[in-house]
This record gives sequence, C-alpha cells and structure tokens, in this order.
Amino acid sequence: MFHWLEKNPFFFAVGVFLVIVFAGLIEILPNFAEASRPIAGLKPYTVLELAGKEVYKKDNCIACHSQLIRPFKSETDRYGQYSLSGEYAYDRPFLWGSKRTGPDLHRVGNYRTTDWHENHMWEPQSVVPQSIMPAYKHHFTNMADIDTAYAEAVTVKKLFATPYDAPNGTPLGTHEEAKAAALEEAKAITANMKNQDVKDAVANGQIPEIVALIAYMNRLK
Amino acid sequence: MNSLMIKALAFAVVLILATVAVVKGMKIDLSDPINLLTMLGAIGIAIITAGVTTKYIGQMKTDKSTGELVGDKWDGIGEYKNELPSGWAFSFMGVIIWALWYWIVGYPVNAYSQIGEYNEETKAFNAKYEAAFANPDQATLTAMGESVFLVQCAPCHGETADGLSGKAQDLTNRMSKEQILDVIAKGSNQLGYPMGAMPPMLAQGADADAVAAYVAGGMQGTAPAAFATCVACHGADGKGNNGAAPNIAGYDDTLVSHVLQNGKKGAIGAMPSFKTRLTPVQEKALSTYLQTL
Repeated sequence: MFHWLEKNPFFFAVGVFLVIVFAGLIEILPNFAEASRPIAGLKPYTVLELAGKEVYKKDNCIACHSQLIRPFKSETDRYGQYSLSGEYAYDRPFLWGSKRTGPDLHRVGNYRTTDWHENHMWEPQSVVPQSIMPAYKHHFTNMADIDTAYAEAVTVKKLFATPYDAPNGTPLGTHEEAKAAALEEAKAITANMKNQDVKDAVANGQIPEIVALIAYMNRLK
Repeated sequence: MNSLMIKALAFAVVLILATVAVVKGMKIDLSDPINLLTMLGAIGIAIITAGVTTKYIGQMKTDKSTGELVGDKWDGIGEYKNELPSGWAFSFMGVIIWALWYWIVGYPVNAYSQIGEYNEETKAFNAKYEAAFANPDQATLTAMGESVFLVQCAPCHGETADGLSGKAQDLTNRMSKEQILDVIAKGSNQLGYPMGAMPPMLAQGADADAVAAYVAGGMQGTAPAAFATCVACHGADGKGNNGAAPNIAGYDDTLVSHVLQNGKKGAIGAMPSFKTRLTPVQEKALSTYLQTL
C-alpha cells in the first residue's frame, strides 16, 4: 500500500513532517489554554524561595516526594485542594515528581510550620517515629546559593517575562537589593527557629540552606 | 535423529537438572501444590524451549524461500509480495471506523471530566458521611477523634499527644507554667473569641508567677489575689464564661474549634490553621478525644 511512498522520498518526507506536526501540536497547544495561565494571585518565587528550590533539587527531594495532588477524595482529604495547571506557571522546571515514598508536598505550607520543619530536617524520627526519611543536618551548616538564585530570577524575568518588579508581583531589584531582601526574609524565618548556629549565621549575613528550604516549603500552599 | 535434536535434548536435560538442583538446594516443600506446579512449569518451559529452538534452527538450515517477487529491486535485493490476510485487514479498517465513531458519537472526548467525577465522588461521600454521623454518640466521636488525631495532629503533637518532649503543645495537659507566663507577658489575640484581645502585662513579677503556678497546677487550693484579673474574662473556674474567652482549665469543644480554625502561635512555636481541612463533626470528635486523654 505504501510501496509508492518508498519510491518517492519527497512525499515520504512530507508525510513524516505531517505526522510530527500533528504530534507537536498535541504537545504544544494545551500550554496556550486558559487553564495553563498563572492562576489569579500567583506570584513568582522570591530569591530566597528560589534558593530553597535549588536545595530541593540538589538533594533530590523529588526522588521521594511529589508536588501534585490528584483530584481523588483520598488525596484531597490528606493534602488539600487538588493541584491546578496554572499553579505551576512560574515553576521552571516544575517538580511534580512521580514517586511517593514520602508524602506529597504541594501544599505542605498549609499544615506544617517553620519550627516543625526545623525539627524534622534535623532528625525526622524525632517528630515522626516511623519515618524512613534520612536526616539532612548538612542543611544547617551549608550556605544557600543566593547569587545563583538571583541569576535564575533575572533570567526568567528577561527571557520569559516572569512578572518580577511588576505591580502586585514579586520585587527583585538589583543584585544588592535582592540579597538584602533575601536576608530580611531569612531573619523573619529564623525568628521562629531554635538552632543557635543558624540564628547566628543569619545575624552575620549568611543564609544556611535550611532557612532557604523552609522559605520554599512555607511558600508551597 | 540428527545432531541438532541431540544437542537440544541435552540442553533440555541440563535445564531440567538445574531446576531440580535448585529445588533440592533451596529445600523447597513440594507437598505444597503451588511449589510443585511451579517446578513442573519450569520443567515444561525447558522442554518447550528445546523444542522451539530445534524447530526454528532446523527451518533456517533447510527451508528455501518461495513466493512472488514485486517488480522493483533495491541494490539487487528483491522483496516478496506479502499481502495482509484480508480478514485481518478488514477488521483493522473496521476498528479505525469504530474508533472514529466512538470518539465523536459514542463517547465524545468532551463528555468526561476528571474534576466532574471528583465532584460527584465528593458529593456522594459527603452525603453518606452526613447520614452516618448525623447524631454520633460519645464512643463514635472518640474513635473518630483518635483516627483524625493520628492523621492530622500526630505529626507534630506525637501519637500519644504529649507534644514530643516540648516540640509542640502537650495535649494531655492544658498549659505549662512557661506558656502561661509567655501569654501573660505578650497578651494574645489569636483565637477570635468574642471577648477579643487579651492585653499584655496584666500581671507582673511575683503576681504573674503566682497566677501561672496556680493555673498550671490545675487551679487547686486558693487562688492568688492577682487571679482576680483573669476571672473577669476567663471566669472563676477558668472555663471561659461559656465561650466568651478561652478555657484555661482544660480543653472544650469551643477551644478546640477556635484553635483549629485560627491556628496559634505561642511559646513553643506556630500551629497552622486547619480551616476547611476538617468538618465540624471532625472538630467535635477531636475535642471529645482530647478530653479523654
């Protein structure tokens, strides 16, 4: 039946092109749908939250935690409202994940607090005795990479017109302004923390990874 | 019998012997029919493997290709005409036509919504829930409260509700002396009671200390003089004047519900609001459970 195409490479190429165009449209078109636009009130991540997101990626939290609540009663009972496409508009990349060795984290900011995260990341079994999550004590001593986070924010602002510095958006400003803002945000978080080393580091103008990670966790609502 | 068959038979015998060796070596109990069937299955697979291998290797050695060539040759290589069996071809086309009908008419692509199914499921569940727990008795409430507690509260307060050695509020006790002193020093306006904000520093120094010791001790004996300030809102028995102010003597339905609705930030740390996460029945159940502790 397709013997004729085998003898006419030009038309064969046209056929291949049409198939790829169709598949491409199916992949690309949904991104322009109204449902994929940022939901009302969604703001881009602050620099500190982005630094926390980097920690989340670096330590591969996605290997055990998802960030996508499916529309099933059992999931919404446990994690809250099911996730909407537009909530991930400023996630580059989104961290949906597909493995739930631990619980979903898409709305963890609604039901966990700074002090809980502090206890939990230091020693997970101290708050959840059956937990198999390893401790992340190095988050308390490693410093978060605020510079890279700022670079990331500037990049998405210029490249994708992510609304930084926009009315009702997230302020970004210059590198120095952004660093000062991140430190202010970190101070607000350490006010609710107990670890003296972390408090001292922030008082000295450094930001440990745990503070950035907690800022990110609290933002997930 | 040619050499190929002998080799295949030898191969099958080796596989069977290996199977038997593994079964013996692992001391598998063959009186269990599942184990016996599994071993027989393994032996069967060994025999079939030998048979199929023999057949196809034999075919490769002896068979000659036959058939009608299509006209063209590509670099000297020809191609046989190899038409689809017509029954197969017609059923394939039939399936394509059926699929189009199914997409467009039978079950149109826009006829199903995942969210719609979720909404229906939730609605049906809520109706069933309301019917089942319209008038729950004390035992039902306690059991429900315990299960809600283990899911929603235990991650912070611990499974025994003791607050995991000071990481969260110890729910087996109303308040510790430090917590009371903290509230007296800072005041409180978090829970949305009708009485409104409690101003900071209503008692100071030794007075505050005496009040804190009295309240933390379960309000035994005579109240210190400074407790009179507290009585105005919290009542002489500390129970909060029927919901006007928080109960400082113990947990009651109003207190639990107000804390769940508004969240709380105190001497230990912050508790998030559980607004919309729990139904009123679940709140009542939690309060009932907490009062049994």
